[in-house]
Amino acid sequence: MPLIEIRNLTKRFRKGDEVITPVLELDLDIEPGEFVALMGKSGTGKSTLLNLVAGIDRPDTGSIMVAGTDLTRLSRGQLADWRAAHLGYVFQTHNLVPVLTAYENVELPLLLLPMTSRERRNRVDFALQVVGLSDRAQHFPRQLSGGQEQRVGIARAIVAHPTVVVADEPTGNLDEETSRQIQTLLQELNRQLGMTMIMVTHDAEVASIASRQLHMEHGRVATPPPTLTATV
Amino acid sequence: MFRFAPYVCKTLWRHRLRSLLTISGSAVAIFVMGFIHSVQQGLDRMVQGEDAQRRLIVFQENRFCPTSSRLPEDYARRIAQVPGVTDVLPIQVWTNNCRASLDVVVVHGVPATRLPEHRKLRLEQGQWDNFTQRSDAAVVGRQFAQRRRVRLGDQLTFGSMSVHVAGIFASDSAAEEDLIYCHLLFLQLAAGQSAAGLVTQLEVKVDEQTDPDTAAKQIDEQLRTGLVPTATRRKGAFQTATISDLVDLIAYSYWLSLACVGLVLSLVATTTVMSVQDRVQEHAVLQTLGVRPGRLMRLILAESTLLCLAGGAAGVGLAWLVLQWGQFSVGAEGVAITLRPSAELATAGLLVSLGLGLMAGFLPAYQASRTPLVAALRQS
Repeated sequence: MPLIEIRNLTKRFRKGDEVITPVLELDLDIEPGEFVALMGKSGTGKSTLLNLVAGIDRPDTGSIMVAGTDLTRLSRGQLADWRAAHLGYVFQTHNLVPVLTAYENVELPLLLLPMTSRERRNRVDFALQVVGLSDRAQHFPRQLSGGQEQRVGIARAIVAHPTVVVADEPTGNLDEETSRQIQTLLQELNRQLGMTMIMVTHDAEVASIASRQLHMEHGRVATPPPTLTATV
Repeated sequence: MFRFAPYVCKTLWRHRLRSLLTISGSAVAIFVMGFIHSVQQGLDRMVQGEDAQRRLIVFQENRFCPTSSRLPEDYARRIAQVPGVTDVLPIQVWTNNCRASLDVVVVHGVPATRLPEHRKLRLEQGQWDNFTQRSDAAVVGRQFAQRRRVRLGDQLTFGSMSVHVAGIFASDSAAEEDLIYCHLLFLQLAAGQSAAGLVTQLEVKVDEQTDPDTAAKQIDEQLRTGLVPTATRRKGAFQTATISDLVDLIAYSYWLSLACVGLVLSLVATTTVMSVQDRVQEHAVLQTLGVRPGRLMRLILAESTLLCLAGGAAGVGLAWLVLQWGQFSVGAEGVAITLRPSAELATAGLLVSLGLGLMAGFLPAYQASRTPLVAALRQS
């Protein structure tokens, strides 16, 4: 049974007099533990689709079922609760809170969940260990390199053991070497921890680490490879 | 909510100069507000006590400054015949300045032996006997003594008059603590030989069954045939009328304190708006991580409230210190309003700060919680 079931999903928005439809009547299934790369040119709707799945944007029509929960039926508050419990988000620009240390940044999502401080500490320590930054726990973002910041961002995304991790161009701001390290890390997280991941990228090499690549065009999945279950 | 306390504090610390300027601005405004309210409180204390409502002051008609009221001391005997009157205290008043002043000196000359029964004074230094037995002795209110650095045994000189400080007293009435009491005859003679047998005013006690206003009318009626016409009022009403110009000014200063409140509101609101605008993306990230819109609102409200409370606490503390240290009094026509710090004043200052913090943060907090996440995340 798919972990994520997207049916007849359409998202429109108005830009001046023009109506733009980044996602149009899209159907897609993603299995638990899958690593899906969303590819495509700018404006093809891949980031919009990611945001819809992440529950930070709302579709005009259609449904998004994640582990049995229809995100389109949740209120703003319920969506926030859902994100806290089920979503890990890796941003392109890290988006760490500058006044908090690496440890505190990773701890942030856990502050929203019911758990003891001891459990929080164990989880943060583990997440930082997974991304190889245990020795940078007390550093502030400004004291970290771009790659280290992105690792902290990844640790923050996985610390709550989310149902799904989404990543929006996670290597877009990194140099080649650091980008490769992040790719390896994401791949390991998917393989070793079995995390379901959806990653937006326009880089074919980065997309190659995913178990499935989807090319988007005009709001739809354009050329699904034979193994894909997604339909248009 | 408390789990996010470090985040709130660190956020305020991130822009410490901005936070500090906001806090100091709020502190000055709350300080001014506290100072104004202490004047208002002093006035209320003076005119609303039981003494102010139950005692009457007989003064020369159409006169306000103590130096111009000259009543025959013998009026006391005639007033005592009015039904309901239980006691009459003749008082000679001397003041250094009949106009409004921030450092008014008021000396009351009274029959020395009768002072303890008419005033609830506690001698903190000195002995009553030393006061009653020496004709040029005086007892000095604690507030006046602190302000003028007067000590027991000092010789105090006002104009051509010099008194020996035989005691320093405390009182539950703040206004009393700003007075000096000396012997009636001494003060009469100090005003010149022609002042013998004359007093400035007569203070009248009436029994519980008698309406003070009715008694006042009867007293004026009784003295209508006397040498000097009188105007008798409740003590509180007399004091209010005596310093009516000052009362008007105090009422006007109420608007100034409201302006202070507005200043704090706009200052903290501006800081909060700037802080929120600087962190549109950060707030979107927090919401993406799962922070509910309501919680985000509370976080921003906590920031504005902390700023306001810190400023309020500093302002209240400063006002407390200045009022305690300065022992100020503002007066006119021989009636002085004492300015004192009080728990009520401090509580009011902190509550106003709390309310202003919540008000100042509400709109920016609401806007931040309603900003579409995707658009906010794209902001750099």
